[in-house]
Order: sequence, then structure tokens, then C-alpha cells
Amino acid sequence: MAIRGAGGGSIAVMKRVVALIAFFSLLFILFTSVALAQVQTQLRVIRASNVGQGVDPSLKELHNELKTLFNFTSYRLLRDENLILSLNQPVSISAREGKIIMQITLVGLHKNVAELRIKVTREGTETLNTQVRLSPGRTVLIGGSKVREGVIIYAFYAHF
Amino acid sequence: MKDFCSSISKLLEKYFDQEVTDKERLLVEGHLQDCPACQDALNSMEELRTLIKVPVEEAVQKEDFPWLWQKIERGIGLQEKQSWWQSIRFWLDVSPLFKKKVWIPAMATIMVLLFITTQIYFKKIPSYSGASVVEYVESETNNVMVYDLEKARVTVIWLFEEPEEEVSPS
Repeated sequence: MAIRGAGGGSIAVMKRVVALIAFFSLLFILFTSVALAQVQTQLRVIRASNVGQGVDPSLKELHNELKTLFNFTSYRLLRDENLILSLNQPVSISAREGKIIMQITLVGLHKNVAELRIKVTREGTETLNTQVRLSPGRTVLIGGSKVREGVIIYAFYAHF
Repeated sequence: MKDFCSSISKLLEKYFDQEVTDKERLLVEGHLQDCPACQDALNSMEELRTLIKVPVEEAVQKEDFPWLWQKIERGIGLQEKQSWWQSIRFWLDVSPLFKKKVWIPAMATIMVLLFITTQIYFKKIPSYSGASVVEYVESETNNVMVYDLEKARVTVIWLFEEPEEEVSPS
């Protein structure tokens, strides 16, 4: 008496499994690389002056650092932007009706460091070109643009 | 007689499976009429088949073999040529994957891929914790000062500019 078996089905299933694994792996790698090539950066535009004594309530946690660095008595938050920066994709922020343009580009992203290139242009003239490394808990302040009764300070933070 | 029996017994399995030629069938049937030993052997095969057949048939009744039907339909479809929509539906149907329990090696493969990807993205990338915060700074129009307040983890880039008009948020 002959006993025969059929096992062709398992090969077909395995082929599909391999194809599906390859497909989902490719998707995973693509999405991971895209997700990792982005960083959320917070930009705060602050006007510091010696007119009055007020400190914007949203700047209280930064006020301790500001008062050790500067002699201003008043800090007012003009803008608070959350920027999602993608690698080599410049983001522009304009102020003073387009007279000042700040261009921020993520040029490098590592485990705990985001490298940003920041260019400030005032009325078509480049006034600042810098590249900084932002890490968790690090604040980078760019200031000095004078306005009547004070200066503008840009505060950068990166959220990982 | 015994030698003849041993030569017939080789044919007996084929006879039982109905795979003998007409000449062989006549030979076996002629021998079976006179040989109780070979009759017993044939009866044993019959009993064994019945013994196997009952549980197999019960199992078959419980199973609807959707995957087998899919295979048969696909085999027929090879001649008829499947439409692109049918092909997509076939590939998107994941039910056979769960039935065959292939998700175990699949999950293992995904875990390995996850591990490898994590290693590539996180471990091999250098940390810049010790490097300076400002890589470079330049200004053609103004003087610039860089100041690090390391305790507070604050870095200041200060532009020395002339006073301008009042600022207003855009």
C-alpha cells in the first residue's frame, strides 16, 4: 500500500511570506529614515528692552538665563513657532513685514544633535550666517537686531 | 509455492492500489484463489486502509480547505490569465498566512530587521556632546560675539547693530 503526501502549498505560502516581509521591511526602513530625518525646533522671538519691568509669563523659565546674560528689564514674547525641520529643507521666518528674513535649514541630524544653518537677511543683505548644534536642553540665542528701545532675541530649542 | 508467493506479494500492493496491468491482475487473482496467506495479506491491507480512512475522512469533513481551493482556482486561472484586480486580492489575502503559522518566522525576521536598523541609525552615529555648539559664524556687515553659558546650557550669538525702527510681529 502506497502512502503519498502533497507539500506544494507550503512553498507558495513561503514565497508570499518572503515577498510580504521584504515589502514591509522596505516600508519600515523608508518611514524610519524619513521620521529620523526630521526634528521639531521651537523658535521664540523675544523683544528685550529697558522700558518697564514686565516679563512675559511664557518666558519665565528662560528669564533666569536671560537676566544673567543681559541687563534688560522687560522681555516680551513676540512669536512662538514650532518648526518641523526636514533635512536640507529650508524654512523661512519673516519679521517686521518681511524686512528681516530668517532662513533655518536642518543640515545634519544625529542621535542627540540637530545641526542647523541659520541665515539672517535684512532688507536683502545677509547680516548673519551661522551653523549651530542643538542638543536636548540646549538653548541658542541669536540677538542684537536693534529696534527702538530694545533688541530682538531669537531663542532656539530642539525637541528630540 | 512459497517462491511464487514472494513474487506475487510484490505485485499484491500494486494490485491493491489498482496499478497493475491486465496480465498482472489475472495472475494475482488466479493465485489468490488458491493461496490463503496472500488472501490474508490482502485482507490486512484492506483493514489497514479502513483504519486510516475513517479518521482521515472525519478530518476532511471538518476542514473546508480554502487554501487548496485557492490553489486549484489559481491553477485554472493560469490558463485563463488572472486580471490585475484578482492578483491584488490574492496577494492581499493574508488568511493563509495565519493558518500556516508562518507569522513566527515572520516576526523573528522583523525583529532582526528592527534590531539591525536601530543599530545603524542610533549606535553607529557619533555623538557630538563634546563638540562646540557654534560650528561657524560669519557676518559681512556687523561684528559678532559668541558667548557660552555652559552651566545653563545657553549659547548666545550677538550681532552688534545700529538702532532701527520699532518691531512689530508679522
